[in-house]
Amino acid sequence: MTTKFCLICTFLCGICLIGKSQTPQPAIITADSLFASGQFLAARVAYERVLFAGGEPAGLFPAAVGKARCLKQQGLYAPAVSFLNGQMQTNYPDSLLYLLRHEQIMCAYLAGQFENTLSLTDRLPYLHPDALPSPLLMAVRVLALNELQRWPEADTAYHELAMYARADTARLNPYRKLPRLKSEKKAQWLSTFMPGAGQLYAGKPGEAALSVLVQSAGLYFGVTSFLGGYYLSAWGVGAGLFGSFHAGGVRRAEVLVRQLNQKRAAAFNAQARQQVLDLVK
Amino acid sequence: MIEFRHWLLLTFWLLAVPACCQTATFSREWQFARYLADKDATDEATFVLQQFDKQTLTAPQRDSLAYLTGWLAYGAKSLDEASLHLLSVSPTSPFYLNSQYFGAYCLAFQHRQDSARAVMQHLPAPDSTLRELRALQQAGVALLQRRYAWYDTLRQQFSYSSYVMSAEETRFDAYRQGLAAQKRRSPAVAGLLSAVVPGLGKVYAGKAKQGIAAFLPVLTLGLLTWEGYRKDGPTSLRFLGFGSLFTVFYIGNIWGSTLAVKVRRDEFNRGYDNKILFDMHIPLRNLLNR
Repeated sequence: MTTKFCLICTFLCGICLIGKSQTPQPAIITADSLFASGQFLAARVAYERVLFAGGEPAGLFPAAVGKARCLKQQGLYAPAVSFLNGQMQTNYPDSLLYLLRHEQIMCAYLAGQFENTLSLTDRLPYLHPDALPSPLLMAVRVLALNELQRWPEADTAYHELAMYARADTARLNPYRKLPRLKSEKKAQWLSTFMPGAGQLYAGKPGEAALSVLVQSAGLYFGVTSFLGGYYLSAWGVGAGLFGSFHAGGVRRAEVLVRQLNQKRAAAFNAQARQQVLDLVK
Repeated sequence: MIEFRHWLLLTFWLLAVPACCQTATFSREWQFARYLADKDATDEATFVLQQFDKQTLTAPQRDSLAYLTGWLAYGAKSLDEASLHLLSVSPTSPFYLNSQYFGAYCLAFQHRQDSARAVMQHLPAPDSTLRELRALQQAGVALLQRRYAWYDTLRQQFSYSSYVMSAEETRFDAYRQGLAAQKRRSPAVAGLLSAVVPGLGKVYAGKAKQGIAAFLPVLTLGLLTWEGYRKDGPTSLRFLGFGSLFTVFYIGNIWGSTLAVKVRRDEFNRGYDNKILFDMHIPLRNLLNR
């Protein structure tokens, strides 16, 4: 009976030992397969599990990049920037840190953090003096400068990129013709002294005509009321309507010019973006 | 007899091993979820916690789970869910103290003052600092409920010397005075004043700029109506048109003035409630903070 018991115990211990000795699927492979199947939240958790377990920086690096990719896939660019910022504390070797910073710059641009993108790009040569310039980062720098409407600097950065890519800048330079932006102040002044002129300056003749019409109506009512001896109506209705429409017209002219400038800048940036991306393809 | 012992040992071994494994797995996963929560990865931590099968957990494990779930909900400002989970932690749990204080605060923040008050009466307070903190929390609820007599009893427990809450205690006293000094405005008086002088009711309610803004159009329309009457007579279109507009604005202004009293009172109360809740929260975070 004792022999039987010992045999059962040996069998159970054997089962346990075999179970323990079987190498489980590495967590990073699980995370990668979750990412590949589009389960990004589960993949993020799986990548975090690798980071939580700790270990050699070389083993943690794919998890950090994997999580950043998941966040990007979910459109969570700003959290990706913060996450990668936290990863800079880990003792990664310089070569891996450079790759993380590269990823962070991409995420910052996608998050619309253009100032941050420039700041991170400018820091890179000091933090990694031995790293070769990356055409993609040069392109992102040009695009961030474009978005901030710092076109003269973008022009210089574009030339550097074009030289690096050995492209013909004389033929392809999008900065030869910069968008002509109009002055909001000028529109305000024009509308103050010539009703409708600010709207015309902003390229909206229909709105200019409407502005002239309503202001004239107010003025007309005021003058006719005054001439008819209705002094209170002339002041309370005529002058009131004219003043309101006039002040509204001035503000509207400013808004229209701002919208026009945004439209022109966006159109120029879209065209420049295409050319910049063609350079780095 | 020896055989029986052998079999007993084997049965015990078969039962003990899975239980130990389960405890180790729970502890590891819970630590992982807490690590994620500390990194503000709330959705990821919630995902990890949702993987637990509550039926298989022991009572202490369920407490730990409820605490962390409640804490995550509190971080995500889902205070209803937070209070539900935090207040379900049992007294034997090491997280009981924190859970009760934060759970009660969540109730107070949701304007469930009576429930908050009931929970706060049983808050654990093993030392003098926590006793003072409990009194401060209860005093906060007393102020939120405008129960000044109860507040005056509770403030006897304030030492005004604790580094964590002395500033809040002083401010609570100021709030109590400010609330007690609140002037009671009557909507009827406001309406009556606006009937006499358009806009005056709003000035009385404490909204002087709105009063002036209401006075000007009513005055203008009144003058236009008078001009129409004087020049064209009572049957003229000018008099009837401006007169109708004047009537609408005049009556609307009276109605607006009665409402302004209530709006101003709500603004006043909301302002104080926010300040009280803020000052209840600060010492809680500084002293307990998980």
